[in-house]
Amino acid sequence: MPLDTSAYSLALLRVDGRRWNELRRMHAQIRTQAAADGSSYLEMGHTKVMCVVTGPSEPGPRRSAVGASGGTGVGGGSGEAAQAEVAVSIVIAGFSSVDRKRTARGDKRILEMQSTISNALAGSLHTHLYPHSAINISLHVLSQDGSLLAALINAATLACVDAGIPMTDYVAACTAGSTSTYAAGDEAADPLLDLNQQEEQELPGLTVATLGESDRVAVLVCESRVQVSRLEGMLAVAVDGCKQVREILDRVVRDKGRRMVQEGTIEKGVGVNDMEID
Amino acid sequence: MASLKRSIERDPLAANISSKVYVRSTKSGKVQKIVREVYLRQDIPCSSKLCRSCLTTAPKDAAGRTIPFVLSEDPAGTSAFPQGHYLVPDTNALLSAMDLFEQSSAFYDVVILQIVLEELRNRSLPLYNRLIGLTKSEDKRFYVFFNEFRLETHVARGDGESVNDRNDRAVRKAVAWYAEHLGRIKGKKAPAIVMLSNDRDNLRKARQEGLHACSLGGYVKQLKDGDRLLDMIPDTEDREIVKDKRPGDNLYPEYFTISKMMTGVKSGLLHQGIFGVSPYNYLEGSIRVPAFPKALLVLGRENINRAVDGDLVVIEVLPKDQWKEPSTQVIEEEAVTKNENPDTEASEDFISEKERKALQEDVKRTHSKTTEGHAQPTARVVGVAKRNWRQYVGHIDQSSISQSGQQGRKQDSVFVIPMDKKIPKIRLRTRQVAELLGKRILVTIDSWDRSSRHPSGHFVRSLGELETKAAETEALLLEYDVQYRPFPKTVLDCLPKEGHDWKVPASLEDPGWKDREDLRGLLICSIDPIGCQDIDDALHCKPLPNGNLEVGVHIADVSHFVKPGNAMDTEASIRGTTVYLVDKRIDMLPMLLGTDLCSLKPYVERYAFSVLWEMTPDANIVNSRFTKSVIKSREAFSYEQAQLRVDDVSQQDELTLSIRSLLALSRKLKQKRMDAGALSLSSPEVKVQMESETSDPIDVKTKEHLDTMSLVEEFMLLANTSVAAKIYDAFPQTAILRRHAAPPKTNFDELSNQLRVKRGLELSVESSRALADSLDACVDPKEPFFNTLIRVMATRCMMSAEYFCSGTQAYPEFRHYGLASEIYTHFTSPIRRYADLVAHRQLAAAIEYEAVHPSVRSRGRLEAVCKNINVRHRNAQLAGRASIAYYVGQALRGKATEEDGFVMKVFSNGFVVLVPRFGIESLIRLRDLAEQEPQATYDAETYTLTAEGSREIKVELFQKVRVKVTDQKDETTGKRGVKMELVKTL
Repeated sequence: MPLDTSAYSLALLRVDGRRWNELRRMHAQIRTQAAADGSSYLEMGHTKVMCVVTGPSEPGPRRSAVGASGGTGVGGGSGEAAQAEVAVSIVIAGFSSVDRKRTARGDKRILEMQSTISNALAGSLHTHLYPHSAINISLHVLSQDGSLLAALINAATLACVDAGIPMTDYVAACTAGSTSTYAAGDEAADPLLDLNQQEEQELPGLTVATLGESDRVAVLVCESRVQVSRLEGMLAVAVDGCKQVREILDRVVRDKGRRMVQEGTIEKGVGVNDMEID
Repeated sequence: MASLKRSIERDPLAANISSKVYVRSTKSGKVQKIVREVYLRQDIPCSSKLCRSCLTTAPKDAAGRTIPFVLSEDPAGTSAFPQGHYLVPDTNALLSAMDLFEQSSAFYDVVILQIVLEELRNRSLPLYNRLIGLTKSEDKRFYVFFNEFRLETHVARGDGESVNDRNDRAVRKAVAWYAEHLGRIKGKKAPAIVMLSNDRDNLRKARQEGLHACSLGGYVKQLKDGDRLLDMIPDTEDREIVKDKRPGDNLYPEYFTISKMMTGVKSGLLHQGIFGVSPYNYLEGSIRVPAFPKALLVLGRENINRAVDGDLVVIEVLPKDQWKEPSTQVIEEEAVTKNENPDTEASEDFISEKERKALQEDVKRTHSKTTEGHAQPTARVVGVAKRNWRQYVGHIDQSSISQSGQQGRKQDSVFVIPMDKKIPKIRLRTRQVAELLGKRILVTIDSWDRSSRHPSGHFVRSLGELETKAAETEALLLEYDVQYRPFPKTVLDCLPKEGHDWKVPASLEDPGWKDREDLRGLLICSIDPIGCQDIDDALHCKPLPNGNLEVGVHIADVSHFVKPGNAMDTEASIRGTTVYLVDKRIDMLPMLLGTDLCSLKPYVERYAFSVLWEMTPDANIVNSRFTKSVIKSREAFSYEQAQLRVDDVSQQDELTLSIRSLLALSRKLKQKRMDAGALSLSSPEVKVQMESETSDPIDVKTKEHLDTMSLVEEFMLLANTSVAAKIYDAFPQTAILRRHAAPPKTNFDELSNQLRVKRGLELSVESSRALADSLDACVDPKEPFFNTLIRVMATRCMMSAEYFCSGTQAYPEFRHYGLASEIYTHFTSPIRRYADLVAHRQLAAAIEYEAVHPSVRSRGRLEAVCKNINVRHRNAQLAGRASIAYYVGQALRGKATEEDGFVMKVFSNGFVVLVPRFGIESLIRLRDLAEQEPQATYDAETYTLTAEGSREIKVELFQKVRVKVTDQKDETTGKRGVKMELVKTL
């Protein structure tokens, strides 16, 4: 068995060989499924997720019951609303974690992630342009290795860009943690960027999503116990990480656009908003 | 359709990413395949002070600090490496000879590779922790090099390559990198990089690759004091040759495979438990498992199958026709295996003739009788889940030394007899027999092969001559794992800067006074044993206008000085308790705190944590409250002084009056406790009187009991109970409490049967109340000590009390059986017990004096703390008793006295006598009774031993006897102890 997170202090190296302020390798693609309105595939280390966006389209009959967010900024009843409803559904594949197990349909953790993502995206998407309609975001988790919520938010952002839904800016997310446990009470603990599964299990951590290049925090989820004094350092590192993530996402989108121009799928010089999806 | 496939080359990072795949099996037997990412990098420094290039890329932490480089620029050399060298040990070198690396004479500038650290952690957690300790020590200069994360030294496992081969290759690659990396430094001659390994194959390959490589033995020989260190290397090198022995030589049955044991335990066919050896019979062990109400017996060498006292073993229950009674015979290893030869043991029969005879007599007896009800289930050991081997203190068995060994420096096999009688003899190979003879030595067990009758071990260090005070005291401390080293500098740095000049701040505005009550005006005094320096507690009592009394217990406010999580706190949590030996005290906290700043000394102001009650004159509590305070003790009494003052009618001052009212209250409290069913138990306690100048023991006195002692005791119990209720209320999941489980009824079977047969007395054990009452009824009008004797024996049937964290037990389990209290904790001695310190912190948080620190409300951490202090507490008690036993032996040295004693236990070839005067018990064997061992018959039904022939005598249980007490050096343990001879029965 390899060493655990307590070995950090020996040489300032984390369990996978990273420094405290380094992201894992991040790889993303958009337009992975031509048939969908928008799609993306994203890896953060060994966390692998894919996303398919359908819509904006007419809401289906009473579909809002499952996974639809009733959050703020989203219209109440489907069809009647002045804004598009953002419905998120997450499916976690049985083979995604070490132990093959089924996740129950009404799993509370999944419901919570769905509503978090829905609220975060609804804040950035211009939903007011699509009254009486629904945007369905389906997320599929293929492999889990920590920072799952962050990966899902990033994948959903990319898929929405691919779907051509107008939005203010990228919603970029990542996690941050701290090198020693809550109980150790170590005030000098280093903050850590982008936790993997092992670190997530052993150390306190939080997930942050920010809006574009600004410092505006769109999501902040902290489910572990940590001293307030350490929180500031963790937040600063996470916000910084979100900016790096935004750069990566932006590069993915631009690369894809350039390639599509080269391949002749779209014409050069056409504004993003006018891009047709075929 | 777009493809998800991506080409590796396009990813600029791809070359630096690898992954680690390994398979692990979980506790439930499931197999998991784990894949981990590995990021390879080039900024991991070599940490040599010679190297400039690594300095520029050295990593920084979040605060921008770099870790200073470790390895010396001018490392020591040896005869083969005069230019100096850095050592790189592989895993088996560390596994087999960690003691070597902890030496202070050699082994500096060592590079520990990450792969080695990982492997070591897998194989042995204690060794891993010791190694981590070494890497933290500044003067040893151990550096952990994360070779797996450095691009140049990362090694991928090849096709068909075993994990071990791959790891060995990784070690060689790291050695090669170091040599190449340091070779590039200009100007100075680079130190040699020397790989240490005991694996021949690895050594050979390393030499082929042009690396410096040495076996441990080969390396140590190059050192100056090599010969001395050579003994610390276990003989694994030689064993490879020995292993070719014929398979028929195996003496012990093979252990089951791990999976077989696991499935067996799971299905209930096998059981798992801690193996314990009977103190009277080394061939009899017992194991408690949940499936059986009584302990399972393990009889005979073959069934014990290499288990050592304390190991976690897996056992199989034997069929019912092999169930037996516990042996009634005393079998001592020394007497039976005296003539064994450590070199040629395999040639003898496995179970020697003598052992067989000893066991057979037992079997005969059980068969001849129809005592169906007495038979106990027996079992045999089929595997060891976890060894609990530690370092053992012992001495070399003189008779096991061959003549040649005494002269030359040839390696020689000898037996070491451990001080602890429950541990078998250890075979040791050493070159320095002549020097070690007659010394107390520390050894460890390395292995116990099927083919070897005794375990083999290696020498660690010598403590000094047998029977010198220094050696014996250190032996005692080591044997009970007491941390006796002086406090390190990091701990002393946590002390207040003012030192002894520290004072309670005069200004009430000082932050120290925040939320503290000023109780300096109260008439507070402390009552302790004579010469007590660490005064934990003080008391006061004041009449209130409404006729009630205000009673206060003031406890030293240690938590003000010891902040959670700092070095001093960590050290205290490891030590767990202060250990009191006859001539020495090993403190939990540094002297400055324990005997001065925290100690509630008289006439000076001190911080305290106070528990204040309003009580009616009938000792009913009206209300209670807790507060941090400042007090000024008026006087520090000894128990005797306080007693004199109370008894002296002419003393009518306020302080004396308040002690008197405290005494009156304490009597009522005690009565209430007794009514609730509290037990008054007993253990023979004595005090050794020392000569003041030489501190040589001169006399032994039994402890007197004074009323003032129970005064203090009652109020401490009350304070503890009140605090327990309060912290449980505030922290239902994480309060630190103390419980005493009700003993299982079967524990008393033996004793109640003995009482019924011998005295016609009934012992009822339904509840603590019933037990207390029936113990009170156990009196012999002619013999006042009889009651105490029964109490001593009953105490041994009890469970031991333990600390626990409230979330781990249901409320009814909190009960303290002995004190008949629903809830209990330790609060009153924070200077000498760590549990009390934790309780202080929790209480401070409960009364909102300070914010709750995470370490006192994290359940996992508290459980670990409880586990440790339970062990420490027990060891401290045992060490204290052993120390008294040693000094009693010393005090009796050269004297012979006749004393009265009582028979506590009867065997078929001896009996145990307790002498109350000295608080000691000792075995008298049949063969000690007369020159020629008398014939004897033992009646197990009536616990009577009748000897005939050379000496005619009849010994019964509970009988009063007259014994002659002399001192004698016990040959088996090398301890000086008492020897008793029977003079006559009374």
